[in-house]
Amino acid sequence: MTVAEGLPLDMLRLEAQVHSAVSSVDDPEYPGISIVDLGLLETIHVQPNGSAEIGLIPTFSGCPALAVIADDVVTAVQNVADVSSCTVVWLSSPAWHANRISHEARSCLEKKFTVAVQIGQRSPTCPLCASKTVEQSMFGPSRCRSVHTCTGCGETVEVMRG
Amino acid sequence: MDDFEAFLNQGGIVEPDDAMPDEYRIAVFRFIELHANSEQMGGLTERDWIPRTPGLRHKMAVIAKTQDEFGHAHLLYMVAADMAIKTRQEMIEDLYAGKSRFHNVFHYRAKTWGHQVAIAFLVDAAALASQQAVFKNCSYGPYRRILKRIIAEEGFHMRLGEDRMMRIAQGTKMQRDMFQQAIDDWWWPALQLFGPDSKPNDMLLRWHIKSERNEILRDRWVQKFVPMLQSYGFTIPDPGLRFDEDTDRWVAGPIDWEPLKKTFANVGPDSARRIGEASAHWEESAWVRHALETTELAKT
Repeated sequence: MTVAEGLPLDMLRLEAQVHSAVSSVDDPEYPGISIVDLGLLETIHVQPNGSAEIGLIPTFSGCPALAVIADDVVTAVQNVADVSSCTVVWLSSPAWHANRISHEARSCLEKKFTVAVQIGQRSPTCPLCASKTVEQSMFGPSRCRSVHTCTGCGETVEVMRG
Repeated sequence: MDDFEAFLNQGGIVEPDDAMPDEYRIAVFRFIELHANSEQMGGLTERDWIPRTPGLRHKMAVIAKTQDEFGHAHLLYMVAADMAIKTRQEMIEDLYAGKSRFHNVFHYRAKTWGHQVAIAFLVDAAALASQQAVFKNCSYGPYRRILKRIIAEEGFHMRLGEDRMMRIAQGTKMQRDMFQQAIDDWWWPALQLFGPDSKPNDMLLRWHIKSERNEILRDRWVQKFVPMLQSYGFTIPDPGLRFDEDTDRWVAGPIDWEPLKKTFANVGPDSARRIGEASAHWEESAWVRHALETTELAKT
C-alpha cells in the first residue's frame, strides 16, 4: 500500500473529527441543542494540508446569529489537532426546512423549551399535553417562529417552522 | 392561604386552571404585565435605532433584537391575558394612556450610539439577572416556561452587547469618549433597575414569584461590571464606590431612589415623549391590525 492510498483514510478520520467539533457547537438561542441537530450543517471539506471548509445553511437569510455561530464553529474546529485553518461558508442552497431538525433536537425543543416544530402546513401539537394548537400570530420572536395557543391546556406555545 | 403558601413552599407550581388566592393571581398578573410592557417599550427603543445603527453587522442585530423584544412582549401579553384580569387590548391601551408601569430604563432617551452600547451591555445584563432570579424558582408555571425561552434569547443579546462594547472600547478616542459619557448617563438607571432593598415581607419572594432579593442581584451586577469596565480603562460615575479589602468586594455608594420613583409615576426624563410616540404609532398602525384581522376572517 502506498502512502497516497493511505491518505483518504486519514482524511476520513480528520473529517469525522471536524464533524464532531462542529456538533459541539450549540445554537446561541437554544443552549444544549447542537447546530448539527438543528440541520444547519451541509458540507465539510478537509484538505491534506489540514484546511477545513464548513458549509452551513441559515434557518433564514437575515438571521443575526450567523456571525456568532460562524465564530463558534471556527473556534471549535481549530481545536482539532490536525486542522491548520478553518473557514465557514454560508450556503444559499439548499434552503433550511424544519424537517432537517433531528428527532433528538425536536424532543429537546419540546421538553426543555416548550417549543413545537411545524413541518409543512400540519398543525403542531402542544409539547405539554399533545393537543392541537391554533396559530395566534405568524410573528414570533424571530422569523423562523410563530406563536400558537394550545386548544387543550391553553399553553402559549412557540412554534419553529420551515 | 396557609395551605396555598405551604404548597408553594414545597416547590408547588401553579397552573392557569388551578385554584389560587386572588391576591396571588393579581400579584403574578401585575408582575407579568410590567415585564410585557417593558419588552414592548424596549422593542420600540430598538426599532428607533434601526436606521441609525452603524454598519450592516450591527444593523442586522438591531433588527433581530427589535423582533425579539416584540416577540417576548407578545408571548407575555398572552400569558398575562390568560389570567383573566385584563384583556390584551386593555393592557396595551393602559400602557399607551400612561396608566401602567414599565421599567425605569425605558423612561430615558438613548441619544447616541454610545448609549445604545451601554444599554445593550449594562442594562440588558441587569434585566437578564432579574429575569434569571425569577425563572429559577417561579411558582407560576406558564410564566416560568416562557421565561426559559426569553432568557435563552436575552443571553444571546448579552453576547451582542459584549461584541459592541469590545468594538467601541477598542475604537478611536472619540468613540471611547462617547462610551464613557454613556456609562456616566446609564450607570445609575441600570443600578436602580434592581429596585431598593427587598422588604422582609416582600410578597413576591414569599409566593416564590421572585427567588432572590433585589440587593443581592444588584451587588452581583456591581461585582461583575466595575472591574470589567475599569479593565478597559473606563471610570464608574459613583464617587462613593470603594473596594472593601476585608470582604474582597466592591461596595457601591448611596443610591438616590428619587429618579426611580419618578419613572414609576411615568414622569421620568423621557416618559412623556416615549408614551406619546408609542401611542401615536399605535393609532397610525391600526389599519395594519385591521387588515390582518380581515385576512384572518377571509381564511376561515
